[in-house]
Amino acid sequence: MLNLLPPLNDKNLPWLDVIHPIVVHFVIAMALIAVVFDVVGVVTRKKNLFEVSFWNLVVATVAIIVAIMFGQVEAGLANPYGASRDILNLHSTIGWSLAGVLALLTGWRYVARQKDPALLPKGFLVVDFALAALVLVQVYLGDTLVWVYGLHTVPVVEAIREGVLS
Amino acid sequence: MSLFAAVTSPLDEIAESLGANNLPYAIPLHPNLVHLTIGLFAIAIAFDVVAAFYPLEKRLFRFLALPVTRSGFHDVGWYNLVACSGISFFTVGAGFYEMLLAVPLPGVRSILGQTAIATMLWHAIGGVVILFVIVAMTVWRGYQRFIWRKDLGRQVSWLYLLCGVAMLLAMGLHGSLGAWLASDFGVHITADQLLAAGADLNEVLP
Repeated sequence: MLNLLPPLNDKNLPWLDVIHPIVVHFVIAMALIAVVFDVVGVVTRKKNLFEVSFWNLVVATVAIIVAIMFGQVEAGLANPYGASRDILNLHSTIGWSLAGVLALLTGWRYVARQKDPALLPKGFLVVDFALAALVLVQVYLGDTLVWVYGLHTVPVVEAIREGVLS
Repeated sequence: MSLFAAVTSPLDEIAESLGANNLPYAIPLHPNLVHLTIGLFAIAIAFDVVAAFYPLEKRLFRFLALPVTRSGFHDVGWYNLVACSGISFFTVGAGFYEMLLAVPLPGVRSILGQTAIATMLWHAIGGVVILFVIVAMTVWRGYQRFIWRKDLGRQVSWLYLLCGVAMLLAMGLHGSLGAWLASDFGVHITADQLLAAGADLNEVLP
């Protein structure tokens, strides 16, 4: 069975580079800019910005599903060591939760938009800030896995394969 | 060569105020700002493409009972691009700051056969060019939105969309150079730098 799997490269990946950090561009950028456009829309009373933030939320929701798919595969091949094991677990838990949160918020906005696209539902700005905070925490955890622990980088993978790191 | 080696890096003078990752902070800023630059640009172009083909998609949206407007899609294309333009100055600025502090691992070649310094130089010049094109395309799109194509349903020309798609391909290659600076050359990655210094990660990075 195992010989049916594709061979892994020097980053312990079946493909050239990590894909998860690319897909999350579209979760991070779209979720954060949706929050910004909601705030600017409320402050400047530019109603068409709510339409822009709605579509950005839709993209973020679709993208996070894809991000989780690649994230799970690459997490499974990451060989976390030391404290990065706990960080990866937390990052996975928040990641799945964030998918639920984003889907819920996008659904809420969809229903509200059917009634009146020029109106931001009451209390949505508060939820917006919570969403931004959750995204930033998630980004920080992912950043720690890459920039502190170097998961899927050539030197770390080499050290793990040589058995000097576990 | 020995004379050349006698000239030390200017980084040595501030080495004490930098961490193991050669930065005064743990997480580099540039790769995070890049999320915003690429995400906003790509989705801006994507929504303008969707808006451009709106006559073909109309029936599908009606079938889904999803109320959409062509101008709404173009709004996403415009506002995301404006945001991208503004943020990308900080992306490039942070990139140059962090590149000045970069200490790539020696003796490594990228998958294209490039050295670390060649990769950094291409990534730096490419970054400035991309910033210039993003800003130029924002001005171009602004003229189309508010003046040249003000009364037209399709707010952007086909040439603009073609440029956008070409830019996305260029950004893909450009981004790969940046990714290799981290994953292959170990730039600003604490674990990679510590390993290169001969440290035992099981002890220093619990």
